[in-house]
Amino acid sequence: MIRAETKTQSKTKKQEQLIQKPPVCLRLKMSTTVRDPLIVSRVVGDVLDPFNRSISLRVTYGQREVTNGLDLRPSQVQNKPRVEIGGEDLRNFYTLVMVDPDVPSPSNPHLREYLHWLVTDIPATTGTTFGNEIVCYENPSPSAGIHRVVMILFRQLGRQTVYAPGWRQNFNTREFAEIYNLGLPVAAVFFNCQRESGCGGRRT
Amino acid sequence: MLSSAKHNKINHSAFSISSSSSSSSTTSASASSTSSSLGQNKSQVTMEEVWKEFNLGSLHYHRQVNIGHEPMLKNQNPNYSIFQDFLNMPLNNQQPPQPPSSSSIVTALYGSPLPLPPPATVLSLNSGVGFKFLDNTDSLVASNPNSFEESASFGCFAKKRGQFSDESRGDRRHKRMIKNRESAARSRARKQAYTNELELEIAHLQTENARLERQYEQLKMAEATQHQVNKTLQRSSTAPF
Repeated sequence: MIRAETKTQSKTKKQEQLIQKPPVCLRLKMSTTVRDPLIVSRVVGDVLDPFNRSISLRVTYGQREVTNGLDLRPSQVQNKPRVEIGGEDLRNFYTLVMVDPDVPSPSNPHLREYLHWLVTDIPATTGTTFGNEIVCYENPSPSAGIHRVVMILFRQLGRQTVYAPGWRQNFNTREFAEIYNLGLPVAAVFFNCQRESGCGGRRT
Repeated sequence: MLSSAKHNKINHSAFSISSSSSSSSTTSASASSTSSSLGQNKSQVTMEEVWKEFNLGSLHYHRQVNIGHEPMLKNQNPNYSIFQDFLNMPLNNQQPPQPPSSSSIVTALYGSPLPLPPPATVLSLNSGVGFKFLDNTDSLVASNPNSFEESASFGCFAKKRGQFSDESRGDRRHKRMIKNRESAARSRARKQAYTNELELEIAHLQTENARLERQYEQLKMAEATQHQVNKTLQRSSTAPF
């Protein structure tokens, strides 16, 4: 009985994650549901409100595809990544926001959030190269601690003019979404970034 | 005879000791004054008093670290609390054996190097133990080495300064502990998030693999049947030629 429940729960979760995949039964661990990494890492909470994934988002730095919680160093994220979004209708436009909520340091993030990249008017099924780069890509280079870097995809109501903020720090994604009527995100992914010579959070 | 002479010396304790200390060359005035005050109470010197004199005897401590220095020995004299030590006192400028066997008896009481390090280690021990313990004992333990530092360098500002750094030290430690706790929680969350992501990834990849394999089998079957159909040649259309 428990197994059946987890199966249905995981089924819906899987559906949310990648809508193109047909619904199939999953074999997760008996009697445990794996919590969404976005919630566990407090990305949902610090940066975003809870949402359901509906569009696929693939971010690739070089050969590396970004999965949640992946550890990347500044040298690996120096150039802008390749971003491919899902969806079906080319007439739908999406906005991509890339922020770092742990500036200047995760223990004292008084400059939360730092806007690294802002691209609007991305047509569905395409990528950021087809969009409008409002705030150009700035590579993350944290100096203190291990920072989360989040990439969020919003769906636009139509083509709209988005104004770049005056400065990159103290950006607020929630406010930004409210101002431009973007609603809840449709996709998000995050990775961890620390300085090149960081110890990876491990002393030994 | 010699012993009686020494004994006489002891009887005229205060004066003899103060004179001996004043005769020593490198002692500072304050040190000699403390030693003279100690000398006056010499006959009634008890362990408690010796401990009490620590705060005042900080200068003693600093000098006593360099054992083997003759003037220091003379200053140390008043701290002797057992009779044998006076017997071991040098008559002239002879240097008594270092660190004297007598002083080994005495060190516990008059403790130049010994008692002071224990407070320091006790303090470090305390910092390793839980926070509650720290609150209770911090001021107690810290006051000892702390106050002698203060008196050594700042004199009259000793007490106030000492209290202030006690509190702020505890505060700082408290804040540090909280920060560390938060950092540890973030670290655990990071690890858990990555693990969850990998688990989800595995599940997804397994299902996709299964699906693709099934698809492959189906296609393979379909291709095989089609191939069978095309084995025989057939006339499909007739050309005029």
